[in-house]
Amino acid sequence: MTSLAEEIRGYVVAEFLDGEDTADLTADFDLITNGVVDSLGVVRIVSHLSRTYSIPVDDIPLVPDNFRSIGAMSAFVEDATKAAA
Amino acid sequence: MTPAPSAPRTSDTATGTGPGTGTGTDTGTDTGTDLYTLAAPWADELNRDIDEWDARAEFPWDKWKAVQRSGLLTVPFEPRYGGRGAGLTDTMRALEGFGRTCRDAGLGFSASTQIVSVGVPLQAFGSEELKSRFLPGIVAGDLVTAHAITERDNGSDALNISTTAVRDGDDYVIDGGKMFITNAPIADLFLLYVRTGAPGPFGLSVFLVERDTPGLRVGEPLDKMGLRTSPLSEVTFEGLRVPAARRIGQEGAGFLILDHVMKREILFSFSLTLGEMEHRLERVVQFAKSRRQFGEPIGSFQGVAHRIADMKIAVETARKWLTDTGAKVAAGQDASLDVAATKTVVSEANKRTALDAVQIFGGQGYLTATGIERDVRNAVGGTIYSGTSEIQRNRIASLLGL
Repeated sequence: MTSLAEEIRGYVVAEFLDGEDTADLTADFDLITNGVVDSLGVVRIVSHLSRTYSIPVDDIPLVPDNFRSIGAMSAFVEDATKAAA
Repeated sequence: MTPAPSAPRTSDTATGTGPGTGTGTDTGTDTGTDLYTLAAPWADELNRDIDEWDARAEFPWDKWKAVQRSGLLTVPFEPRYGGRGAGLTDTMRALEGFGRTCRDAGLGFSASTQIVSVGVPLQAFGSEELKSRFLPGIVAGDLVTAHAITERDNGSDALNISTTAVRDGDDYVIDGGKMFITNAPIADLFLLYVRTGAPGPFGLSVFLVERDTPGLRVGEPLDKMGLRTSPLSEVTFEGLRVPAARRIGQEGAGFLILDHVMKREILFSFSLTLGEMEHRLERVVQFAKSRRQFGEPIGSFQGVAHRIADMKIAVETARKWLTDTGAKVAAGQDASLDVAATKTVVSEANKRTALDAVQIFGGQGYLTATGIERDVRNAVGGTIYSGTSEIQRNRIASLLGL
């Protein structure tokens, strides 16, 4: 995982999997299908990414696939922050 | 009942000062005036004939003018739109003071809804064109607003609403209906939360719609137990055509707007509640000191004194939760659990202390003339609207991983 993906993984573990076994939590682990993140969880993740990486909410592509895995989230955060630089 | 509200309203006073202030500084960013006392100069007007208005279940338009004149509706909005430019916690302070001053909880609820339903999300997420066009009228209180989220079959499941908006060229066509919409019978503008995609968080979008748009129908006001001066009704949509330019935020961003709005709806409306609880406690203490039985003030009896001590604890607990959660939300921190807990704590404390006040006032508390029983009727709604106590506890449990 990239350092950005590790950061996002740390957030997901702390907020959604605290105290759980996270050995399977790879970059492409499906967070939605596996029930780690529900609708309210997605709201919290979008708010967190917007705030932490200074991405305007309007610039976050609000499609499920962008929030399905840590890898997907880190990819669009990387794109958004590169575009802003 | 679709025609636009024709009740008299004024635009020349919304940012004015109270009769006792005369400073004329309300249109600037100066929030030096203690926002807690904003409504105090208008107390007599706000509190006139409350029993009659409550019995008629009628929206008090003349009192709305006093709300406009007090400047309450301008507090959180940018000065370029006629607002005071105050932050979230200052807005909570203003609403707490309004709740302390105004005995008409229904009017306060409509005012809080006016601030948060359209103005707040429009300022945060709307296009410059929509903001310039609508915010000045909203901030002045000349355009009354409502947001339509709840549906007949989807009261607490806001992310799975069934009202749809289908793209058709440069427009969307909306079909469906909303239920229990506060301010709907008097509203000029509606913010509609509708489905533009698959069920779940990414299928929700938000549109700003004017009342007289063909296809939008407002139902008759629904009679209810409390908050009777705050009208609510059903709103239905049949082939309601709305330009895409009236969408707030991008398609699919409705759940983010909803999250932003619901946090503020809870913090604002329950700051009003805190003010109402403060007033109730003061009134009860005064009564317990002056009312004598068996030759003693009833406050000297431990059974009464302990009940009042518990009311004090409830008021201060509510204040601490509101203050702490308000600061977290204002700082952009994750406050999902805090908001749910705050809503539960304050709404349930309000209901409990309202019943305590009836018990302490005894027979007088049971009479409508003292207004104590009205507080009970008003307080019940707080454990239902903006997500029931049960839903808040579900949310807290979910956030604990249960």
